[in-house]
Amino acid sequence: MTRYWAGPVGTQPDIDLSPAALPKYALFSVARIAIAYAISLAVTVVYAYIAAHNARAERVMIPLLDTLQSIPVLSFLPPVMVAMVGLFPARQVGVELGSILLIFTGQVWNMTFSVYSSIKNIPRELREAAEVYRLSWWQQLLQLELPYSAIGLVWNSMMSVAGGWFFLMACEMFVLGNRDLRLPGLGSYLQTAANAGDTRAIVWGLAAMIAVIVLLDQLIWRPVIAWSEKFKFEQVEAFHTPRSPVLDLVRHSRLLSLAGRVSVGPAREALTLHFAKTRASGRARIRSGLAKWVARALAAAGAAAMVYAVARMVMGLGAASRAGFAEIFVGAGATFLRVELVLLLAALWTIPAGVYIGLRPRLAAIAQPVAQIAASVPATALFPIVLLGLIRLGGGLGIGSIVLLLLGTQWYLLFNIIAGASAIPTDLKEVCDVYRLNRAGRWRKLLLPGIFPFLITGFVTASGGAWNASIVAEYFRFHGRTFSTTGLGAVISRATDRGDFAVLLGATVTMAVVVVTVNRLVWRRLYALASTRFRLEV
Amino acid sequence: MPRADKLRELLARGDWDGVAALLGNLDAPVAGDVLLSVPPETQQRLFRSLPVEAAARIAATLPYYDAYVLLHSRPLEEMRAVVDRMEIGEQLRFFDELPEALWQQFMEELGEPRGVARVAEAPSAPGGLPPVPPVIEARQIEKSYGRTGGGQVQVIAPVNLSIEPGLIIALLGPSGSGKSTLLRMLSGLAPPSKGEVRWHGEPMSDSRPNVGIVFQSFALFPWLTVVENVEVPLLARGVPRRERRHRASRVLDSVGLTGFAGAYPKELSGGMKQRVGLARALAVEPEVLFMDEPFSALDVLTAENLRGELMELWLDRKMPIASIFLVTHNIEEAVLLADRVLVLGRNPAKIRADFRIKTKHPRDHNSPEFLLYVDYVYKLLTQPSLEARPPSIAPGAKPPYQMLPHARRGAIAGFLELLKDRGGKDDLYRVADELRMEVDDLLPIVEAAALLSFVKSARGDVAITAAGKAFAEADIHDRKHLFHETALANITLLQQMNSALASKSDHAMPLEFFRDLLQQHFSEKETERQIETALNWGRYAGILTYYPADDRLTLYDASVSADSEAEGS
Repeated sequence: MTRYWAGPVGTQPDIDLSPAALPKYALFSVARIAIAYAISLAVTVVYAYIAAHNARAERVMIPLLDTLQSIPVLSFLPPVMVAMVGLFPARQVGVELGSILLIFTGQVWNMTFSVYSSIKNIPRELREAAEVYRLSWWQQLLQLELPYSAIGLVWNSMMSVAGGWFFLMACEMFVLGNRDLRLPGLGSYLQTAANAGDTRAIVWGLAAMIAVIVLLDQLIWRPVIAWSEKFKFEQVEAFHTPRSPVLDLVRHSRLLSLAGRVSVGPAREALTLHFAKTRASGRARIRSGLAKWVARALAAAGAAAMVYAVARMVMGLGAASRAGFAEIFVGAGATFLRVELVLLLAALWTIPAGVYIGLRPRLAAIAQPVAQIAASVPATALFPIVLLGLIRLGGGLGIGSIVLLLLGTQWYLLFNIIAGASAIPTDLKEVCDVYRLNRAGRWRKLLLPGIFPFLITGFVTASGGAWNASIVAEYFRFHGRTFSTTGLGAVISRATDRGDFAVLLGATVTMAVVVVTVNRLVWRRLYALASTRFRLEV
Repeated sequence: MPRADKLRELLARGDWDGVAALLGNLDAPVAGDVLLSVPPETQQRLFRSLPVEAAARIAATLPYYDAYVLLHSRPLEEMRAVVDRMEIGEQLRFFDELPEALWQQFMEELGEPRGVARVAEAPSAPGGLPPVPPVIEARQIEKSYGRTGGGQVQVIAPVNLSIEPGLIIALLGPSGSGKSTLLRMLSGLAPPSKGEVRWHGEPMSDSRPNVGIVFQSFALFPWLTVVENVEVPLLARGVPRRERRHRASRVLDSVGLTGFAGAYPKELSGGMKQRVGLARALAVEPEVLFMDEPFSALDVLTAENLRGELMELWLDRKMPIASIFLVTHNIEEAVLLADRVLVLGRNPAKIRADFRIKTKHPRDHNSPEFLLYVDYVYKLLTQPSLEARPPSIAPGAKPPYQMLPHARRGAIAGFLELLKDRGGKDDLYRVADELRMEVDDLLPIVEAAALLSFVKSARGDVAITAAGKAFAEADIHDRKHLFHETALANITLLQQMNSALASKSDHAMPLEFFRDLLQQHFSEKETERQIETALNWGRYAGILTYYPADDRLTLYDASVSADSEAEGS
């Protein structure tokens, strides 16, 4: 792998369509995701820790986080790639780093937010116990803050990695101006296969994709979830706990536990004792003076960078033509309508289906994991295949983009609705039976209000995802032809192709603003309503 | 009766000192009989010449009216000294028998600076030894919180308090009175807004107080095993691994957790969890052990068992602790465990009473002395006039705003029915005992009923009034009516809401208005609780209607309310 990274940029590396090449490609894709995740994890802990402990930094860092979360990551693709290829002009590693950086920006924010709010919400008495027994910052982090954040972090990591696949599939193969950049991986394999119209390769590629996702689920996420059970902040043991045979295997492995005892154990002990002693001897105070200056310098540098970025942005926007603005404006309207239409279409089939499944526990037990797997297959991996089908049927991207967006968004809705419907208490259902409510009455009085909070959660995730996905769904290069339809996503992609950075910037900012505004005006209010009026308290 | 003869002879000679000496040597009941057999002026003359010790012993045996008159025959200072010398049990019985008006007056005579607070004995070193320097000393500490509209709400009035070695000190008070806040200031967890806490004479902020805390919610780390939890504070002090394990196991043994070292807290029962909490606190061998309602989250039997074991550890000196500071709202718990009891008043909190309990451990729940102490604390808690009328209220100072006790109207009605069935009058602690309710849960209900003039409560007794009886006997419709009348007559906040709403043409106001009004007097949290109670009563009384959707109050209108309230809530 090192030799490959250090190698020259392959402008047209051949993607081998034989199934035998798939394990290698899968490995490459997984490696990218893993590296990006490791970086995300490190940044998450540092960022969240600082934001939670420094009130002054918090005032800047949290709104910034909120904004970064709503910026469409895919429009970073061109500038990031240009910068990275510029940094390492002759090396493949530049493109690789670019893709990793993109995945990182796609997955880090919600993880950070989760850890930050966990640290902020640590129960008062636990904090006080830590304070009264004078735990060093290190011991607090290790024994209180990280364990308390663990569960939220695990769930958010799962979501982030699923999102990571989505972006990876999109950025493994893309066109930058006149350069066609490809990274060997599952995403480029699927695109190449669809390009060539090779059905056999498509099936193999999809199978490999699903196999990788199922394997990751079984080998990584299940064990991690079962392990993180112990961090649940509850005083009573749960009736039903997740289990994982893999975890049992790891736990009972003598070799691993020995390795842990000789490496991690002593290191942790030494560090903790070291920090305990620094704290006791009062050296921490002297160092905190130095730390204060470092923090000040960092804050100043950050502020300067932000001012510079804003100035550049304003200047960049000034360069955009009038026609460019008109294009952005029309595109935003079109994508807005498209996204809402997609949400509506998704709701139309998922609400009845979800409620039907949710009310039948046995069916839900089968359907839930299937829906989860379906949802974690990145929609971007399916795009070329869907497009291939559409082209054969003779449809354009107008309808195609809607199908593509639907592919990415409906699953969030579906399993939120299933969860909501199965959480409706039995006695309320019995009330409906006793008073013989008809079908319409039952929906109006019980089922819709009952799933409302879950529905909103699903809509929030789906809406954000749909906006982001519009960048790849509204504009597509395929078979040497360019398919596109009117929309903000298309504007972004086209500007990327043309290298029109002013329009690209304008469109990106517009999309971020629209997403934030819709979130603030619509979803947050509905969310507040859902969590007060429509909460089913047991 | 040779003694009686001798007495007469001495009296005839006018040898008062001789008579006094003779009386002092007699058994107290006999001396009392003798004293009462002479004419009143002679009684007083004799009583005045008795030494304080003897006077106290004899006065305690007399009927209250004789004792009251005789006590007043001595100068004020001496009278106080005599009362102070009375056995606590006798003293309480005496106070108990006094009619209310006299009692009130008498308490004031005993007066400041000691107040009724120190009817027992001032907390100083026993037996005249030089006073022991306190471990923790609080000087004029107070706590206030900023209000949203600017200004401050004081939750704890300036308090002086010291924690001396060798004592279990219990801090009693109704919920929301600031007990926990006081504990956090004393333990160094939270700085006071004003004043200073000293640790062995040094300011708390400069020292590293060696204290442990046992929390009501246990505050264990669920992801660590029992022994790891106990090791947490040792690790923080840099104790190396081997010694840490050793010390933790020793502490676990002493609290009866041998064999549970590897378990996780969630596998344990509440009582076992609190043992872990105790073990963790003891692991660092603290000088002062703070306990914040340590037994409140446990069931009655478990709590009783743990209290017993705690006392065993304490009495056998198995714990290397100088003192225990226990916060509780359970009166019996305080009387059972404590050598010194502090009673906290509310809004803002100040120490209302501070007395010693000298009964030897282990104490018997059913001994008359125990019951007297319990009754005494009930009296203190149900006598709001004691704190409401501090002698030094500056002229023109704003009287405190009426504070609604947090009782739901259903509980008030239930309490009135029960009281009616019990003949309309009872001792509060008996009612609490019967209902298996903590005083903390019962007191707000009693206070609310008293505020609504449904009952009268004084000195631990509670009696139903005519209005209360009528309410208890009425049907649903009449009850609502009666509640409406008495609420508008007695509850300031509801009066204000009613008149404000009535004065508007649309009969509507945002609730925010009243929230702002209340925040002039209460903290933010308390304001919410006041509003909640007022809404609960006001809606039931048919005074107002509340629409949560737009946070709006309107005057109740019987014709429209049925629909709109259903929609609004």
